Amino acid sequence: MSNPTPAGDQAKVRIQLTTRHADLGLPQDTGPLLVSTSLRRIQLSSLVNNILSTPRPVPFEFLISGQFLRTSIDDFLTRNGISAETTLTVEYVRALIPPTYVASFEHDDWVSSVDVLSASSPAAGWAGADIAAGQEKILSGSFDGYLRIWDTSGQLVATSSPTSHGQHPIQSTKFLSPTKLVSAGDDCCVRIWNHSNPTNTDNPSATASITPSLELYGHHGAINAISVHAPTSRILSASSDHTLGLWSTQKSSAPAAPSDLFPENSPSLTSSNKRRKISQPTPPPPRRGPLSLLTGHAQQVSSAVFAPNDASVAYSASWDHSLKTWDLPTVTCVDTRTTAHPLYSLLALSGITLLAAGTSARHITLIDPRTSARSIAALTLRGHSNAVVALAQEPGSWYGLVSGSYDGSCRVWDVRSVRPGGADIGGGQVGESVYRIGRESLGGKREPSGGEGVRVFGVCWDKQLGILSAGEDKRVQVNKGS
Amino acid sequence: NIDPESLLPKLPSPDELRPFPTACSVVFRGHEGRVRSLAIDPSGEYLATGGDDGTVRLWQLRTGRQNWSVKFSGDEAVNVVRWRPGTEAFILAAASGENIFLVSPPIAGKPDVERSSRDVLDAGWGYAATNGASATNGPAKKEAAAKWTRPGPQLEEKGVLVKITVRSTVKVINWHRRGEYFSTVSPQGQSSAIAIHTLSKHLTQLPFRRLKGLAQSAQFHPSKPIFFVATQRTIRSYDLARRELLKILQPGAKWISSFDIHPGGDNLIVGSYDRRLLWHDLDLSTRPYKTLRYHKKAIRAVRFHQGGLPLFADASDDGSLQIFHGKVVGDLMENATIVPLKVLRGHQVRKELGVLDVDWHPKQPWCVSAGADGTCRLWQ
Ligand SMILES: [Mg+2]
Repeated sequence: MSNPTPAGDQAKVRIQLTTRHADLGLPQDTGPLLVSTSLRRIQLSSLVNNILSTPRPVPFEFLISGQFLRTSIDDFLTRNGISAETTLTVEYVRALIPPTYVASFEHDDWVSSVDVLSASSPAAGWAGADIAAGQEKILSGSFDGYLRIWDTSGQLVATSSPTSHGQHPIQSTKFLSPTKLVSAGDDCCVRIWNHSNPTNTDNPSATASITPSLELYGHHGAINAISVHAPTSRILSASSDHTLGLWSTQKSSAPAAPSDLFPENSPSLTSSNKRRKISQPTPPPPRRGPLSLLTGHAQQVSSAVFAPNDASVAYSASWDHSLKTWDLPTVTCVDTRTTAHPLYSLLALSGITLLAAGTSARHITLIDPRTSARSIAALTLRGHSNAVVALAQEPGSWYGLVSGSYDGSCRVWDVRSVRPGGADIGGGQVGESVYRIGRESLGGKREPSGGEGVRVFGVCWDKQLGILSAGEDKRVQVNKGS
Repeated sequence: NIDPESLLPKLPSPDELRPFPTACSVVFRGHEGRVRSLAIDPSGEYLATGGDDGTVRLWQLRTGRQNWSVKFSGDEAVNVVRWRPGTEAFILAAASGENIFLVSPPIAGKPDVERSSRDVLDAGWGYAATNGASATNGPAKKEAAAKWTRPGPQLEEKGVLVKITVRSTVKVINWHRRGEYFSTVSPQGQSSAIAIHTLSKHLTQLPFRRLKGLAQSAQFHPSKPIFFVATQRTIRSYDLARRELLKILQPGAKWISSFDIHPGGDNLIVGSYDRRLLWHDLDLSTRPYKTLRYHKKAIRAVRFHQGGLPLFADASDDGSLQIFHGKVVGDLMENATIVPLKVLRGHQVRKELGVLDVDWHPKQPWCVSAGADGTCRLWQ
């Protein structure tokens, strides 16, 4: 078939629409379409909505050769040297909405970690709990050693009670259920906490609380990150002692704790007056040991996560450049992938069997953990200017993720948006971020050298609340696509 | 008509020599006044720093968080901090004025490491008691080389467990690889300028009573019983077992500030106040194999990567650090490959002083720098 372009008529191009959204597939008989090259994203989006007869319009973005269409098709073709004679393969994806600043929750110290309890959050799902809109809770862990729970209006609901042996920086915290929290950090101990929020009681003076219920000892170095899985009552911890800890959330099924690691057995606390000073606040809760400490990494383990669809499998990332796959029932390492850089953060993307690892070398590596996979790095996401220390997946999407970096920003990525990388960076596929979220605390100023004062330490992406990021600016910042 | 360029040996381009540090990733802020010295602990998890404010501080390397600090009595600056090798204990040596302190910083969650550190430090008290302490502390014929004492309850509560008092201000500390000995340099100390301390015996010896010239630095050979001493213009190596002079290196610098020995033991770098960086191949000659002049101001510190990466760095009063590739070949006939890789800028120059110290991570291609601007920086 020829492609005549009669004088005076608008230039046209043939496009073949595709998608990876199972719920938004095209009718089977849709072949290539002839469209005007003057079309932009908006017109293409209504075109697809028309074909799909969507009840409510779904905003779409369009990927051509791994690049988002940001101009007219005509400009795109010119810029990329593509002939209008070609049939363009155009992938439509649900549009990521630019995340705009919503609020900041101010803390007394650096904030390392943030988690959300909402209708769609894992902890609510495991508990079968209904969290009404507006009743979501935000959990933060701080370098001052305290956990805090906030409501969606930014009111502080509860602060954790002091631990029996002083306050040490918390590096990671998660909801286990609506009433149970887990935290870990520099004191090498994993703590489980009870959270009670007696809002519906008759006693108006009753206040919300966060009190320790179990302490788990076994690590010989600071804990960098934890993951939780309530249905199997398991916690994973990643430690600077080169091991991963596997723990039970249940007192009754956990082994005895190694008493030589108890803080009161520290020789620097032998002076009687110091002991009196710090054993005041609360008697320590019950203590237990690990189900297992998984060895194999040669350096700090920065992150450990459960496989999204199988909690008997764990993945870990280390400064030793490697990603390991663990079979938890037999506590054995079943696979090791060695990358080119120290790994600082890890996310197992649900739905697409890819692991995203943030590096000290300022990028994110995506790796297919299946043993059948040929290449080591499937994709590299570039754009950050400092270490990538936190990752979270877009809720309800297989392809979106957010990263937090020491450069003082978060970046939103779509792993479908890729192009072949140049030889200068070792080839492979390369992606660029879709959106960048800066720190509101800078008031529009540029990030200082080394991200000083605005480094991001933790991120969480919730369907209801949006992207929450915790940082050196002592804030949890909330951004949401509206 | 031969292009002279074509006769020069082809050096690899920096891009082929990755990884090496290229950007500042963490700023460590807290010291008041200059940071004089810094060192990453053998596990690679912590950074120790010492400075003009008289404090020693401990930081988590990954986050830049200060975990602990101590101020020694008096207004003396902390001139040097150096970790004892090995990961079974966690012991820092720090010098302030005429005092050397041995510290077991109390790290939350590591009571076991703290216990073994204390055992290592306390062993010598018993030795001194059984042996009448005559070697160092007792009423000996000559004045004792040093006094080993407990620093007092306030410092002991902070984990400062041993105080060694020598005769004049200590500027340099370097440990022997096994962690049983360390050397100190007091440039103004004349006959007591170089001291070697034995940890398990709480014993101090002065092996170089007739040193020619002003002592600048001293270091143990990484594997052999050889000891290197730098004065202003020369570096001498001594056989410790036979107590004899082995070599006199002539770097050709007017005033040596620091030197470091390659982990292989056969090569050495020297930094000088007259802006030179010199590479010596000990098999080759007593003169430098290479002279590098990149800095506009004095070089304060030089350091090889100790964890198997072919990297070295220098720190200068011009406010920058320079990172080099330095590959040593086992073959006696082949010379080392030296390639300048990167200039790291970020420190502010204060009162003519820039970067005062540099150290490498024990495993990663990362370095840290101490600035006269009061900050330390991690470069990745
Ligand atoms: Mg040689």
